[in-house]
Amino acid sequence: MNHPSLIEAVLVTVVLTNLQLLGSSRLKICIHMVGLQGIVAGLLPVLLDHEANPLRAWLLVVGSVAIKGIVFPKLLLRVLRDAGVCREVEPFVGYILSLLAAVSALMFSLWMGSTLVLPQAPVGTTLMAPVGFTTILVGLLVIITRRKAISQVIGYVVVENGIYIFGVALVGGVPMLVELGVLMDAFVAVFLMGIAVYKISREFDHIDVDRLNRMQG
Amino acid sequence: MAADWILWPILTFPVLSAGLCLTLHSPQRILGAVAFLGFLWALLLGAVAVTVMYLGTLSAARHWLTLDMLSSYHLLIFGMVFGASSLYARHYFSFEIAHDEFNLEDGRKFGALWFGSGTAMVSVLLCNNLGLMWVGIEATTLLTAFLVCAHVTPLSLEAMWKYLVVCSVGVAFAFIGTLLVAASALELGLAAEDTLLWTVLDGSAERLSPGPMKLAFVFLLVGYGTKAGLAPMHSWLPDAHSQAPTPVSAILSGFMLNAALYCIMRYLPLVEGATGHLGWGRALVTLLGMISMVLAAAFILFQHDGKRLLAYSSVEHMGIIALGLGLGGIGTFAGLWHAMNHSICKILAFFSIGSLGQLYGTHDLGKMAGAMRRSPLWGLGFFVSVLILIGSAPFAIFMSELQILRAAIHQEAWVVLAIFLAAAALVFIGALKLAIAAAWGEEVVVPRTQSSSIIDVLLVIGALGLLLLLGLWLPTPLHGMMESAAQIIGGRP
Repeated sequence: MNHPSLIEAVLVTVVLTNLQLLGSSRLKICIHMVGLQGIVAGLLPVLLDHEANPLRAWLLVVGSVAIKGIVFPKLLLRVLRDAGVCREVEPFVGYILSLLAAVSALMFSLWMGSTLVLPQAPVGTTLMAPVGFTTILVGLLVIITRRKAISQVIGYVVVENGIYIFGVALVGGVPMLVELGVLMDAFVAVFLMGIAVYKISREFDHIDVDRLNRMQG
Repeated sequence: MAADWILWPILTFPVLSAGLCLTLHSPQRILGAVAFLGFLWALLLGAVAVTVMYLGTLSAARHWLTLDMLSSYHLLIFGMVFGASSLYARHYFSFEIAHDEFNLEDGRKFGALWFGSGTAMVSVLLCNNLGLMWVGIEATTLLTAFLVCAHVTPLSLEAMWKYLVVCSVGVAFAFIGTLLVAASALELGLAAEDTLLWTVLDGSAERLSPGPMKLAFVFLLVGYGTKAGLAPMHSWLPDAHSQAPTPVSAILSGFMLNAALYCIMRYLPLVEGATGHLGWGRALVTLLGMISMVLAAAFILFQHDGKRLLAYSSVEHMGIIALGLGLGGIGTFAGLWHAMNHSICKILAFFSIGSLGQLYGTHDLGKMAGAMRRSPLWGLGFFVSVLILIGSAPFAIFMSELQILRAAIHQEAWVVLAIFLAAAALVFIGALKLAIAAAWGEEVVVPRTQSSSIIDVLLVIGALGLLLLLGLWLPTPLHGMMESAAQIIGGRP
């Protein structure tokens, strides 16, 4: 089955979650947005028709929706509770400016998608690679401009989502074993980062990464 | 081939060892197991590398696992680094057990992660699939992250956090690159299972689309370059190396950086083939190499902490290897040779500074003044290894650097030559001043004393002897292996 309109609905949702993520100071909302993004992005493989092996696609969907849509948000919410923060206070770049940056990133990605001759897997829409790339850029923006350690974990998950979409657009997915390995790595990475945030909050009484600067030179 | 089955035990052995470490009931026993099993595994790896040296490429699981000359050469380096570090770990943590800083829980965590990270590094070498190779590199980050903060202190947590975030995000770039490589091969019409197999891509490198391949290489260079500690993506490296327990620093510096560089080596023939052998990819690698050398030299001049000094020296040496690869020709061979020399020398330097650090209670070189009188073995180890690292003749590092210079002259790359010499001279002066002060200066702190065991002596003498030997005489089979490995990177003519 191929559903270009469904695929485009998914992509629009991804873009909207990106914007909401950047414009919100409440970390809880950010985490929910990342979860939603993970779920809709995870659905992509079954919406494509060039999939030779439907079983494989469904396995992937179940795996990535479970991990990115359910496990990650639960884990992050728990870390948030343990660390006792609820807001991103004074990010290095303000919310309005971040939103503008995200929109520019989207325009840049669309322009790049139209000029750069990337061999496209037949996915029925030309929007997928640009949206994936925008999501990667938004994730990087979150990592760089936010102060709380947990925001960096959120940014990392957004980058992962972006790469996932980008990968589906570019090659229509890589071998199953690789896909599973990547998923497992992402899971462990987020898990470890969660533990690290927890330890940092215990040791330092804060999770502000700009104050983790004792070692220099 | 008959010997192909051997690829399986070298992966399962460390996994079983990690499991065993979790079941033991005293930290001493765990350290004993780490030393014994680690050394045994290293011997096994050495034997496999020698098998490949004589029999040629081994492969199993329908070519998903492959060990050719390039990977088995790195396997040899890994074996030396891992075996020696496992033996040293016993010495290092025994000291901590004696001072109540290392309990059973620490021991189990260390043992399991130690073998786990070793497995990940070896799987990077064994995987022929470029996607799985990436998974292996990311796994090394994840498995070593908690080794870096084996002792939870504010500083080690800070180091671990930077390491985890910078390397995970950096390596994510490498995955984008990997996807782009797959995209550049779409026109070949490969089956999904073959898309990312290196041997397949290498066989038809000329037919990969150059546009996506170029873009891919930039992403790969940034991604794996972060993990290899190439400047300007090296920010995590000095912190992680200085805060990790010394055996971990040794393995990070002695092999993990090389594993990431190895990935770049795998992609060089692909990008060169796709872009028509014009040296496009190699120029980028050269550029990163030069930046790394200059930046490391600047930081070494103002360094006081012994472990940070060695960390920046690793940035410098990764830069030198990258320069060799970038220059191509004999430079590729010299870069590979330099990788082995650097790893042997750097682990010795870390062992020495780690032991001195335990005796003095600090890694500040100013406070270690007079170390040569107080601890002749580790003082000598540190001083001579620094001398070798900064390029003293006739040791092996000097010889391989000389070959890289020759490659630069041969290619008439005068800018590269000038920057190489200037940076090397700065490092020479900066590091020598620090090392002399540490070895013979006026004593500031009176250290604790500890007798050295026969294994400590063997580690120091063995490493120094090997470096001298490799500088004077390169055994023919090893030479042949390095040449074939260089040919793999240089692309088949």
